[in-house]
Amino acid sequence: MATETALVDVGVLFGAVALAGLVANRIDQSVIPFYILVGMGLGPHVLGRLDFPALLGTDAVPHGSSLALAETDFVALGAELGIVFLLLFLGLEFNVDRLLAARDRIGRAGVVDLVVNFGVGLVVGYALFRAFLPAFLVAGVVYISSSAIITKSLIDLGWIANDEANPMLGTLVFEDLVIAVYLSIAAALVLGGGSVGEAARSIGLAMAFLLGLSLLVYFGTALFQRSLDTDSNEFVVLRAVGITALIAGGALALGVSEAVAAFFVGMAFSSTDHVHELERLLEPVRDTFAAVFFFWIGLVTDPTLFAGVASLVAIAALVTTPTKLASGYLGGRIYDLDARRSTRVALGMVTRGEFSLIIASIALTGAGEGLPEDVANTIYAFAVGYVLVMSILGTSLMQYSSPIESRVVPWLESDGTV
Amino acid sequence: MTVYESDLPGVGKKYEIELEDGERLVVVTHNTGKREVFLKPEADADSDKLFELSDRLARTVGTILEGAYFQPVETERVETLLTEGTYIEWYSVASDGELAGQTIGDARIREETGVSIIAIQRDDEVITPPTPETRIEVGDTLVVVGSREDCKEFEKRLGSSDEQ
Repeated sequence: MATETALVDVGVLFGAVALAGLVANRIDQSVIPFYILVGMGLGPHVLGRLDFPALLGTDAVPHGSSLALAETDFVALGAELGIVFLLLFLGLEFNVDRLLAARDRIGRAGVVDLVVNFGVGLVVGYALFRAFLPAFLVAGVVYISSSAIITKSLIDLGWIANDEANPMLGTLVFEDLVIAVYLSIAAALVLGGGSVGEAARSIGLAMAFLLGLSLLVYFGTALFQRSLDTDSNEFVVLRAVGITALIAGGALALGVSEAVAAFFVGMAFSSTDHVHELERLLEPVRDTFAAVFFFWIGLVTDPTLFAGVASLVAIAALVTTPTKLASGYLGGRIYDLDARRSTRVALGMVTRGEFSLIIASIALTGAGEGLPEDVANTIYAFAVGYVLVMSILGTSLMQYSSPIESRVVPWLESDGTV
Repeated sequence: MTVYESDLPGVGKKYEIELEDGERLVVVTHNTGKREVFLKPEADADSDKLFELSDRLARTVGTILEGAYFQPVETERVETLLTEGTYIEWYSVASDGELAGQTIGDARIREETGVSIIAIQRDDEVITPPTPETRIEVGDTLVVVGSREDCKEFEKRLGSSDEQ
């Protein structure tokens, strides 16, 4: 796109995202589907196809593709930074000591969640695509719940002070750890060009890189600590962003998932004294670029493709909502919660969001490489449609939990499950 | 009274405090510093949010609850001007000072620094006026009169942690 319009495009992007956030907030919904929808609306597939001047009866307004926002370098790169910061925060929150302290329950609830949902995802994916890699990607998309949306809903609803918060957040941490490993494997498989040898080579490279990063994290705490020792907020932000972007970018240049590299950088920072300071200072940076990421997801999504995947999305939603409900309920039970609180855990875990979209973006990068182009596009459109449905369904289930509880809990209790 | 502490990954920490008659106060400390305070009528009831505080406000409120907020403001030293150029100052005697354990006469305070010790506060007792035989002890508060220079000179002989 021409350079002279770039700044106004950025203005339109952030203005539209800000407005979408306002609307979402007004009607008590998660912002993520709204960011996606507004991106879709302003993108080449919707606005680009509408002939505005024809509607207005004037030629003064530019029309069609010249009016729509395109996927410029800024948007693509901003979206990439969004992924990097989302995963960096995951790493920051991911404290090995805390996880080990609660490993028994988190482990049991997490494994139930993984086996049930990832397993069902594999089956559904294989039934639909008849190949391993698409099934593997679909399984990831339907398995991973949205840390961002669920945590925010927990705080908004005040559940955070209740006992159901522990199994929910614990399971999310487990999922996040799984997804870090999963993303590195998925990226390697998708970019591996399809041949077994190539895939094995890129998985090997990814694992070696991750091993190197883990060693750096393990032995480099003092280094990371020193790198952030300064009184200036400005320097802390710049250094943290610099280190993160450099390592993530380096990883990507080597063909390793930038998201996973960022996760490890977050883990390294999490063992320094600066973790709270970083969270406070980088949160706005993360939210800014995460919004660009969701907008970009919308921008490159052609909603007409939804028609083709509508049945896939419907099947997946019908199958994976009950499985998440079941695994969530069991998770609550593993934490010794009563039927009512376990029901809340179940309702709360249904939401899928940012990580499913990150998997979708990986599928897209593999178009024509590890994946046939039409399969990649189908998985991408499926993931976006699925997230739109599940994020709205999940937050609604949480909001309307009390009528659901009052119907379901007596039945559960009479059923002898107590 | 029992306080239950648990981690909220991605959010912060939760403290549950057992109150009398089974109620529980729940404090959620967010990583951002925000504190949310909830009340639960009983252990497995839903929590009602009472209020939330910013990090700074929470610390202030906490100090007031602790009963410590209205203690005197700490300054480097207490300093009162008697007349132009003459000060009354309060010094506490630290264990590492050379004066601790000496009598006022042996320490030759007046001769070497020019200040006069006009009173010594020791626990609840006030020794006034102290005599040359009065022994200076660790923990004493010395009330001293002298010029600014003399007071500084005296401060040096008190040792490192001479501020009150």
